[in-house]
Amino acid sequence: MAMISELPEAADGPEPDDGITARAVSRSFGAVHAVEHMDFHAPAGKVTALIGPNGAGKTTLLLMLASLLAPDEGSISVGGLDPRRHRAEVRSRLGWMPDTLGVWESLTAREILTQMARFYRLPAQGIAQRVSEMLERVRLDDLADQPARVLSRGQQQRLSLARALIHDPSVLLLDEPASGLDPGSRVELRIMLRQLAAEGKAVVVSSHVLSELDEIADAAVFVNKGRTVRHQTTEEAAAAGRRYAVTASDAASLAAKLTELGVAFRHEDGRRPSVSLMLASDGDAERLLRDLVLAGVGVNSFAPASGALEETYMRLEGERQ
Amino acid sequence: MSHTTENRQHTVGGTGAGGYVPGVRDVVVLELKQRLRSRGWYIMLAIWFVLTGLVTWLTWASWNASQTAQGEFPAYVQPSQSGPGSMIFEVVLAFVLLFALLVAPALSANAVNGDRAGGTLAIVQVTLLQPGQILWGKFFAAWAAALAFLVASTPFLVIGVALGGMTPGHVLVALLMLALEVGVVCAIGVGISALAGRPLFSIVVTYLAVAGLAVGTLIAFGLGTGLTQGTIMANQAQYRAYEPLVNGPAEPEYTCSGPLQEQSAMRTERVAWLLAMNPYVVVADAIPYPDRTGQQGFTSVGAIENISQGARYAMAGPEGTYPCANGEVKPRYLAQSTPLWPLGLGLQLMLAALLMWLGWRSLRTPAHRLARGTRIA
Repeated sequence: MAMISELPEAADGPEPDDGITARAVSRSFGAVHAVEHMDFHAPAGKVTALIGPNGAGKTTLLLMLASLLAPDEGSISVGGLDPRRHRAEVRSRLGWMPDTLGVWESLTAREILTQMARFYRLPAQGIAQRVSEMLERVRLDDLADQPARVLSRGQQQRLSLARALIHDPSVLLLDEPASGLDPGSRVELRIMLRQLAAEGKAVVVSSHVLSELDEIADAAVFVNKGRTVRHQTTEEAAAAGRRYAVTASDAASLAAKLTELGVAFRHEDGRRPSVSLMLASDGDAERLLRDLVLAGVGVNSFAPASGALEETYMRLEGERQ
Repeated sequence: MSHTTENRQHTVGGTGAGGYVPGVRDVVVLELKQRLRSRGWYIMLAIWFVLTGLVTWLTWASWNASQTAQGEFPAYVQPSQSGPGSMIFEVVLAFVLLFALLVAPALSANAVNGDRAGGTLAIVQVTLLQPGQILWGKFFAAWAAALAFLVASTPFLVIGVALGGMTPGHVLVALLMLALEVGVVCAIGVGISALAGRPLFSIVVTYLAVAGLAVGTLIAFGLGTGLTQGTIMANQAQYRAYEPLVNGPAEPEYTCSGPLQEQSAMRTERVAWLLAMNPYVVVADAIPYPDRTGQQGFTSVGAIENISQGARYAMAGPEGTYPCANGEVKPRYLAQSTPLWPLGLGLQLMLAALLMWLGWRSLRTPAHRLARGTRIA
């Protein structure tokens, strides 16, 4: 637990100018305090996950970061610039993909991207080429001249991503980009986001599908009830321990051996009877598996029950209750 | 990495100089592309064309029928008329204005909140476009779509010219005023759609606003007149004896004599501005018609002229219309040379401008206040 740094300490000191930073932002809608004194930082070249339950204030924070919503208090800086004073500069550095797809259905993918390029005032002679590049990058070049309404949800999602990337922003804000995607498209999205981070962009991904974020995110900011609850890197999360699920052909002997080893465990109500237990590190897992096998317990499966970030998330949920 | 940096410089370099008008044009292009690809718009246009044609034909047929019927009674003195042209023109004009007032809200009143509901407004708001560019773009696109309906009805107004009695000038002025009225309704619709949360609500409110202009102004004027009880100084009017078959100057019909006395009168000029805001009054008052002061006896005048004269009569108030007000003889037929339509159109434009300004305020980003129950994206 000591490895997990509480954010207030982490946010102390001068923030670097790259990426996107929110300092103590608050926003309320009438009596509802959607976001209260939230701190957030996404550095350039990294994927930062924004994690929290529904209604935690993720979308509100993203809207403020996207310079669509003004914070009641606090400040936001994009590459060291204040959106209120340097509107155009900030906008040309920001790419935003909303959770609602919002596609002009009668326009073709190519027309949509061309319009967006014009709205971002890209030089006119380069637009056609830029649009073709982006269509290729999100693999929509075959469907480029079809009206957007015939695209599947996953294709529209890719189009929405291309739309957010058309002006080559340095900060990319993605609100639930993986929702509604099939597993293949999710893997694709993951690869693409890693590429974008490798190009030096600050990528912010909000999601509550946590298992994926383990693979994508370098760090995670946990929010709940409008507040930043915790900020940790994926390594820190992994180091904080992980829940493992174990099944054996003889559940009774497994339970007996675990009790003998003094490991706390609990029975899970899955399809197959299994037990789950907390292990602090990969080394612990290695030792336990060896002990079980050497003791003659017929282990069928021995695997992490949840992602590292999911573990933190569930723990936060537990603390809340 | 170097590629990225280079691209960014292009982007930032393009932001400063980019003009206001090209941004508006880009929004108009986006809007019109979508409108031109919806089949409903073409169907509405076709129905409109057929309906206007039908009204034109019916007017012409009924005029013909009445001519035939009157021909069987030669004793009846036929008022001088130049042909069916002016009648067709007036009926078609009234019809086109009515339907333009009905179509324009449908084309404009979901322009902004329809996009908000579809999630495409925020996509545009997050770009370098300014709220004014988005709003003007939406307005011009809605206006252009509505003007297509006017263009479709032009042939039938031209028929009025072809059948005589009307000049091309009449058609031009009429079309110009119709276009302006449609523009006012579109601006009201776009402004309301930026303010209201739901498309259905803003369309209904826009229809109510149009009904307020077309019918509400008449009711308000009628009821308001009752509140304008005032007095006027006038003396006694002495009417000449009725002389049925005398041809001669019909005016003045009376002479004024005696001391000036306070008499009660409706000061209609105080509420005439309500009447002036009526789209029919604005269009009718702007269309030129001959000055009939010197004419005598009974003349058949068209509805356009009647509306215009009626409104100008109200605007003149008792000072200009009450018999023997201030001891002066008032002409029976008003040769009101002060047109009323600039006042009416000005008031309409002020209303439209107010709504557009409020709409612009609600489109500003980063947004400080949001309408109750709306999500920005």
